[in-house]
Parts: sequence; C-alpha cells; structure tokens
Amino acid sequence: MTRLQTFAEDRAEIMGLRRRTVLKGGAALGVGTLAVGAAGFGGGAQAAPKEVVVANWGGDAVKAMTEAFVVPYEKATGGKMVIDGSGPSNGKIKTMVLAKNVTWDLVDSGLAGTGELGPAGLLEEIDYSIVDKSKVTPGFAYKYGVCNYMFSTVQAWDTSRIKEKPTLADFFDLKKYPGKRLMRKDSQAMLELALMADGVPADKLYPLDVPRALKKIAGIKKDLLFWGTGAESQSMLREGEVVMGWLWHTRGVLLQKDTNKKITFTFDGGLLQPGLWAVPKGNPAGKQAMVAIAAMQAPEGQVKLLAAMGNGPANPAAAPLVPPELNAINPGAPENVKVQAKIDADWYQANYAKVRQQFLDMIAS
Amino acid sequence: MERTLQPGRLTRSLGWTVICFLVLPILVIFPVSVTDRRFLSMPQHGISFEHYANLFTSPEWLGSIGQSLVIGIVSAAIAVTAGTLCAIGCWRLSSRAGEIVRAVMLVPIVVPTIVYAIGIYRFWVDLRLLDTYTGVILVHSVTGIPYVVITVSTALAGFDARLEQAARSLGASVPQTLWRVLLPSILPGVVSGAIFAFIQSWDELVIVLFIASRAIFTLPRRIWDGINEHLDPTMAAVAAILILLSALLLVLDLAIRRRREG
Amino acid sequence: MTADRRTSWIMIAPALVLVAVLFFAPLARVLVISVTEPSFGLGNYAMLFTSASIQRTLLTTLRICVFTTAITLVLAYLVAYVLTHARPAAQRLMLLGVLLPLWMSVLVRAFAWVTLLRREGLFNKALEALGLIDHPLSLMWNETGVTIGMVHYMLPLGILPLWAAMRDIDGRVLAAARGLGAGPVRTFLRVFLPLSLPGVIGSGLLVFIFSLGFFITPAILGGGKTIMVAEYIDTQIQESLRWGVGTMIASTLIAAIFLLMFVLGRIVDLRTLFGAK
Repeated sequence: MTRLQTFAEDRAEIMGLRRRTVLKGGAALGVGTLAVGAAGFGGGAQAAPKEVVVANWGGDAVKAMTEAFVVPYEKATGGKMVIDGSGPSNGKIKTMVLAKNVTWDLVDSGLAGTGELGPAGLLEEIDYSIVDKSKVTPGFAYKYGVCNYMFSTVQAWDTSRIKEKPTLADFFDLKKYPGKRLMRKDSQAMLELALMADGVPADKLYPLDVPRALKKIAGIKKDLLFWGTGAESQSMLREGEVVMGWLWHTRGVLLQKDTNKKITFTFDGGLLQPGLWAVPKGNPAGKQAMVAIAAMQAPEGQVKLLAAMGNGPANPAAAPLVPPELNAINPGAPENVKVQAKIDADWYQANYAKVRQQFLDMIAS
Repeated sequence: MERTLQPGRLTRSLGWTVICFLVLPILVIFPVSVTDRRFLSMPQHGISFEHYANLFTSPEWLGSIGQSLVIGIVSAAIAVTAGTLCAIGCWRLSSRAGEIVRAVMLVPIVVPTIVYAIGIYRFWVDLRLLDTYTGVILVHSVTGIPYVVITVSTALAGFDARLEQAARSLGASVPQTLWRVLLPSILPGVVSGAIFAFIQSWDELVIVLFIASRAIFTLPRRIWDGINEHLDPTMAAVAAILILLSALLLVLDLAIRRRREG
Repeated sequence: MTADRRTSWIMIAPALVLVAVLFFAPLARVLVISVTEPSFGLGNYAMLFTSASIQRTLLTTLRICVFTTAITLVLAYLVAYVLTHARPAAQRLMLLGVLLPLWMSVLVRAFAWVTLLRREGLFNKALEALGLIDHPLSLMWNETGVTIGMVHYMLPLGILPLWAAMRDIDGRVLAAARGLGAGPVRTFLRVFLPLSLPGVIGSGLLVFIFSLGFFITPAILGGGKTIMVAEYIDTQIQESLRWGVGTMIASTLIAAIFLLMFVLGRIVDLRTLFGAK
C-alpha cells in the first residue's frame, strides 16, 4: 500500500461526482453495444485473440475505462478485455516479472513507472508497428510507454484569502500571502513549477537545475504540507488547511465544484504530463497488448474518459470531438497547452530515480 | 489491597481523563457518519442518513462485508484450532523448548506488516494463489495464530495441571481429556483468542492490498478505496456500525469473563 | 513420558508448520534480498553509516517511538492503577473504554483525529470559542499530530499488560508495609512501584516494538513531512524499486527488535509480557 498516489490512481476519484449522471446512462448503452459485439463476433470460426488484462488503480476508473475502452475494443476485435483495479505499483510489477508469472498485459502508469521499470528491464518495448505514433500528441510516445491520456499539475488557491490570481512566484512569497502551502510528496512537476517560480522560462526548464529547485523549495519548507493522494490534496484546500497548492487539474475541477469556486485553479504555469500505457515483460497476451493499445487510440473513447474524469485525450484527432464546455478543463486543449510547460520524458528516464530520492530527503530533513 | 493504596481523587480523575481521550475519536465517528456533505466531515446544515442508505443498498459495500465475514470467520477458525493446540502443547511440554516455540509464535505480530506483505506476495505469485479466498484465508490464519497463543496461554497459566493428570489416570484418552476437562476451563481464553483473530483479519489492509485484485475485495480495501476516491463518508457509517457491534461483542466478552470469575 | 512429549509436539505441529512455511519462509526470502541486490555483499548495510537520509529517518522514527512510549507508559500506568483499585462496576466501564478503540480500524481512527485536530477542526474551534487562543494551534501535520495518534493507538496495548501485572501484586505485602508504619507515598514508591516494574518494562517494550513498524497513522497525520521507517521501506519497495535498501532496513528493524527483546529478556521475564506465564 503506498500513500503516494500516482495520477492514474487518482482518476478514480474524479468519477465521484459524475458517476451517477454520466455513467449510469452510458453503462446501459455500453452493455447494449457489448451484447451486439459479442453476437457479431462470437460465432466466428477463427481462434479468438487472447484475453487482455488491463490493470488500473481501482475505484470508479474501473467503470470509466470499461465504458471508454473495453466496450469498443471488444466490438472491434472480438477479443476480451478485463479491467483489474488492484493498483499496478512498481513493486508488484517487479515481483510478477521476477517470478515469471505476469498476470497483467497493460498497466495504467506514468513517467514514474516507466522511468523506474523500463531501465530495469521489467517492461516490453512499445511496438510502433502496431501502435500508431501519429495518433499520439507529438513528444508523448516513448520506448517503454505510450500516452494514454494527459493531465496537468496546476496551481490552486483559496479566493477567500487570496483576492487576486496569484503567480507561481507568489507561492514562495510568505509576506504577501501568509499561510501554509501544499505540494506533492514527489519531485515530478514540483521541481518544474518551483523553477518557473524562480524565473526559468517554461521552454528552458530541461535539463532541470535540481539544486536550484530544491533550494527554492527548502526555503519555505516550514510552511509546506505534502500530499500523497489526490483526495488528500483536495481536502487540505477545501478545509482551509492551506492557502494555495500545486495539485492535479482534475482535483482543481472538483474543488471548484465542491466550494462554488471559493477554491479555484489555473492552467497558467502548469506542467502538462502524460499518463502512459506500459506492458510488463512477459505479459500473458503477448502482442495482443499492443493491438489493445492501438484500439484504445480511437478518439471517441478518449473523449468519454475526458467527460467522465477530466483526462485529456492523447490523440490529437479527438480535439474536434471535444464539446466546448469540456475544453476549459481539458489540459490538452490548445489554449491550455499554450500557457503550460511540457514534461521531458528523456530527462526523467535518466534522472528521475535519483532526483526523487533527493526530493524526499529534502522533505524529511 | 483495595484499601491500602486507594488512588486519590486527582489520580482517579486523571485516569478517567485518559479514558475520555481514548473514547474521543470514537464519539466523533457518529456525527461524521450522518454528515450532509459528500465527503468525510462534520454535518454542516443538517444530518443525513444517506451514507447509511448507501451502505445498505450498495452491492459493492455489502459484497465486501460478506467477503470479510467469510474470510474472518474461516481464518479465525483455523487460527483458533492451530493456536489453541499449540498453546496446550507448549503448556504440556513445560520446558525450555515449549517457551521457545511460544516466542517464535509471537514473531508474526512483531514484524512490520509491509515486509511480510512483499514476501507473501512473491510466494503467492509462485503458487498462483493471488486473489483467491484460499490465499487470503491462509495469510490471515497465520497472522491470527499469535493472538490465540497469547490468550490461551494466559488462560492455561491459571489451570491446575493435576486436573489433567487425574483425568488421564482415570482412563480418559488424550482427546477426551482435552475436550471434556481442559477446554471447558480455558474456554474464555479460547473465545478471546477467536475474537482477536477475527478482528485482525477483519481489519487487515496492508497485505490484502498486495494479494487481492479482482475477485477479493474485503471491507478494509473498500474503505481504502473510498478514502482515495473522495473521503467517502460511507466508511464512517461502516465504522459507526462496527463500533456498535464491537461494543456488543465486548460486553459479551466481559460477560463471559465475569461468569468465569464467578 | 516420551509418548506424552510426542503428543505435545503433535499438538504444536500444525501451528508451527503453518507459521514456518507461510510466515518465516516468505519473510526469509525477502530478507535475503538485502545481501544480494544489487550485488552480493553487505553494500546495502553500509548505507546505514553513509546515507544521511536513512539515518535521519531512523532518528525521526526513534524520536517519535521514544516519546510515544514514554507518554503511553505514564498514561497507561495511571489508568491501570485506577483500574486496579476501582469498584467492579467502574472497572467494567473503564475496561470498555480501553478495549473499544483496540477494535477500531486504524484508518478510521486516523481520520477521526484529522477531524478533531486540523486547523479548523473541533479542537481549535472549541479553544477559540473559549477564548483561550487567537490563532489555531498546529496540532497536526507534524510530529505532535503523529504522536497523539500513535499514543492513542498504543494506550490499550500498554494498559492491559500493566493492569495484569498490578492485579498480581499481593495486597498483603502492601498491608504489611503500611502496618510497619510506612505512609502511602512511601509504600507506593518503595513497594508498589518496584513490584509493578516488570509490567512497566513489559508493556513499554510491547508499545515500543509496535511503534517502530507504524505506517498508516504517521502517513496520514504527518502532513507528508514526518517519514517513519515503515513508510520509507514501503517507498523503496513499491516505487523506487531499491529492494536491496528496503529489505536492508527491514532486516535491521527486525534485528533491533530481537536484540531489544533479548536484552530485556535478561532483565525481566518476557513471558509475563505476553501473558504466557
């Protein structure tokens, strides 16, 4: 059990609000299409493809991914796909691979996962002869993982105590806005936002000046709290424990709803990050996992995921399908991309493990 | 003794203050469970029983309660059987070897759970026991045994060994002696052990997060899921009901003790 | 006699086999990793002396555990003392208060404390309403909060063995002391306290050992800054994949616990601690 939640793990919560309104109707539809799909393919003479097991972080993400991905996949290929919500932590994947008994084909991961697992030889490389690179926003298709959705780390604040929209630099200005601040218990995005607050331009962030970022953060450490799970970040702002915080945009959206916009957020100065599909080494369904990824690149399912949980579509072709009212919360919408920095996967591949430990040491010291 | 060192009024009130400190968080759970908001909090505008309604109408929550009950009862039964026999065996040995066995039996409650979790996860991957009732029940049996060994050993300490010898010399077999003579007199210890073994299974989260996935979704895992979603107040409703049930069980337990003490 | 011993061993066997196969074997396999990953040898153990962050985590853990144990012991002694001398009805009520939290999920308890202790929580609101404070106190998201939560968890575990030890103190000894002219304070300090000392050491050990491996309470009440050793191990194993480091710390922790039990075992009879006397 890990207290430090990944973004993928957190998306489950986003459904909390919308499950009843959006999904109930959708689920009924989904079951219908599933039945049609099964009838269409069930009688085929050719051998059915192997079952694909997708591991995500549980909660409502199980239902949302079933709706967005499983139903279309089964319809398109005649294969079977199941969602396992037990949480594909790095430690579990490593154990499975070492024991040579892998039960997952696809895991809902991110740079934290592929950065640690890939170099350790615990992941299959993504087969871009099956997965279509052109259906991924440029720069988000990697050796060990391919973008599944987009999310952002953004600045949120309490409008009852901060009247004007604060800048990233204000996050470190304890005189201007006294009160505690909130950060994630992980270096990812925190270092980037700290550097931008310190004046580094968004397009010149990498390679990260880690000592500078750590020093900047350490300067206000006394007034920092750190969150592990998305729900935690949400409740700390909602309950007035902090005046501002850096958290996932999906939580920002929920906070606006929870508090009637007393708590609000901006994509300005945020960091755009990818959620990634990764394939554990020696996965049971073999290449069928790549076929599944390719099937899930269809823009329709990705828009469904945005509507359900706020995850931005990975496929640029989804843009025209996104209803205008959803564009405001879509981290991948052009007007939002413009004001954010973009994460550099290569840098993470090479440095993440070490830097994260440094960050944790800084917190604990 | 009662008269010789009777605590003064100050000492007594301090003692009761500590008891209040112990009970305080429990009392908080009841108002939180009837909050009118959709996340864990004190009620704001009024009280609402929707979280209780959710608990009793949601197949997920009810399913988890059912699973936890089955796993808890079966693993408690295994732990009680193995643990009681073991404690009696050690007691009968009444030697250094018996003491060592008893000490070894206590190790499972001393080792930090996270360390054991990663070990048993690897083992269950090898044995294909991940996400099965068998897997979870076996683990919870093993972690329940120490509690039974402790409580039964305590009960045995107060039992006169000559009674067993008398029964044996009158021609009773070992199983007969155990069943007819020994067990009735250590029953309170066995029952307490059973309750502890059940509760530790019922409340166990860390290992289950490792070894369960799709099929097994115990109550603590459901609560954990709810916390990570949006601090789901349903868990407060569950907790409130559990506290009432525990209180009931405790009263039961105390009643048994009282009967034993005469 | 040998037949009798054999029967005893047959009775012991099922539990012993279960614990050996399903607990010690998997555990040993994990601990072996500490000397094989990333390479064979004691390289990981050298980190105990070279890694500042590991030392700091161990120190934080030690500090919190010592405070928790000390506070728990004082409070537990108080309760056990009152409990021992209370009338049966009061005793039963008190016991209910002691045992009830023991059976309450650690998750639920942690969140109950969040509700009570946070900035705009019940505690601060009450103090403000009484006019005792102007600014909310920082009761949580720091070591204070972690210690409060841990003391609460440990108290029943501390009270029960102490109570058992005090019940066994022979009232006639105390009466004799009083009869020989010793005042109540003197009788307590010279007779009762020394007689209850094994219980104090026993429950102190129990509380300390349990505290060392504590995970959920510090993670929830510590505000992310109070990282104790169990959480450190978890991060190493689950996320950073530095299994060698994680298992090394775990082995160290287990070794420390056994050492502690061994040393204290020379001073007091540890069997009393587990009630298995």
